[in-house]
Amino acid sequence: MTPSVSDILVGNFLCMAEPGPPEQQGEFMAGKVGVVALLSLLAAQEAERGAAARVTENAAIREILAEAALDYGLQGGWPADPVELTIGGLDRVNAALRLALISLHEAVEKRGDTVRHASILQLYAQMAELRRLDLPPLPGR
Amino acid sequence: MSLTERLEAYLSRIWSTPVAVSDLSRIPGGASRETYRFNARADGETRPLILRRDPPGSLIETDRNLEYLAFESFHGALPVPRPVAMEPGGAELERPFFIMERVDGGAAASPFTVLPYGDHARAIGEQFFRILGTIAGADPTNLPLAKKAERPEPDDCWRIALEHWTKVIEDDQQHPQPIVWAAIRALRRRPPPPAQAVRVVHGDYRTGNFLHDGAGKILAILDWEMVHLGDPLEDLGWAMDPLWGHFEADKVGGMLPREEALALWREASGLQVDETALAWWSLFNAVKGQAIWTSAAKEYRDGGFKDPVLAISGWYTARRHDQILAEALMRMEGLS
Repeated sequence: MTPSVSDILVGNFLCMAEPGPPEQQGEFMAGKVGVVALLSLLAAQEAERGAAARVTENAAIREILAEAALDYGLQGGWPADPVELTIGGLDRVNAALRLALISLHEAVEKRGDTVRHASILQLYAQMAELRRLDLPPLPGR
Repeated sequence: MSLTERLEAYLSRIWSTPVAVSDLSRIPGGASRETYRFNARADGETRPLILRRDPPGSLIETDRNLEYLAFESFHGALPVPRPVAMEPGGAELERPFFIMERVDGGAAASPFTVLPYGDHARAIGEQFFRILGTIAGADPTNLPLAKKAERPEPDDCWRIALEHWTKVIEDDQQHPQPIVWAAIRALRRRPPPPAQAVRVVHGDYRTGNFLHDGAGKILAILDWEMVHLGDPLEDLGWAMDPLWGHFEADKVGGMLPREEALALWREASGLQVDETALAWWSLFNAVKGQAIWTSAAKEYRDGGFKDPVLAISGWYTARRHDQILAEALMRMEGLS
């Protein structure tokens, strides 16, 4: 997933550090501050849950790949999570696992393997839920 | 040279009279265009105007000619501001832009808020879906837009739209996205029926892209930068995408129950709603959304992480659309 939580927090600093031209003060700056504040709130959720979500997703993808390995002639050897569970390190492993999952799903669809197709769709729902970010109930105006 | 001075130089040239620009201020929101309000005084008259200028990095690559022609096509017939000038080459402002008349006294709802229309949600929703139906009902043949817009065959609309947004994902994705690729394959496996008519598709018709007066009246339909000709169900699917629901599951766009919205659209457009086709276009629109957010994430990175609107688009909305896509795929297979 991009951007990462560290990208977001660095971006929050960078976008506020440079003073804009006069026409970008006032209402525009107020709007920008509001978006930065919202990003900070979401970043707090990601800082709390992000690493665990990636560990869980990576394990779930490995499991579905391993289960299908024999039927689909998969080579195995999927990367393990790094010893230090950084977001960046987990994302690098996640990218490799997701590519393998996409390939498996294409093969499953081609073969008409409805049972595994359903399992993969359920995994997608789990993945999306793991990465969920919750907006607060911001009032409209 | 400041932006004010550049605008003065440009308007003085095209109006052949000295122009003084005042009260220039950027309007928040949006990442596909920089939007500014300003006043232009010439020959004793003050004109309230809006400048829409391409940013250095844009959320979506769009054709500003078509956007301008869309304003020309619907100004006068619908609440759409009058276009004033367009410069695809940038002229004195150095980046492509267009200028339109300003509609004062209105507000655009943030899609991330709850109950943005308050007690006026029904009244706003009725206008919202009637206006969309009116756009869908218009024969594009004699509209200014038809001068530049390509007119696809009815059975090609879906393919052109899907291939366009698929390529955006291919070009811009920075991390593998299995959910959206599964949706793209599902859309290819089960194409929709041909468009019942080829019509104007606004391309970004949703809550947040119109001004309302706070008392139940829509003042202006905005953000036509993705306008094209295609299947009118495309706009309907986008307008009803859960992302724009203001957290109200029982109302589309946070305004009206789905069936009421569809009835208004049918009445205003004179067209039918084939539920199978609409289901296809709804899933397509979640793919289209994911493509836009994928580009936003790339632009955010390429632009040095400085635009927080790109950040929220490439992050929160991308994850929300992954949820919407995953749920839609499960429904399609009868798994939820």
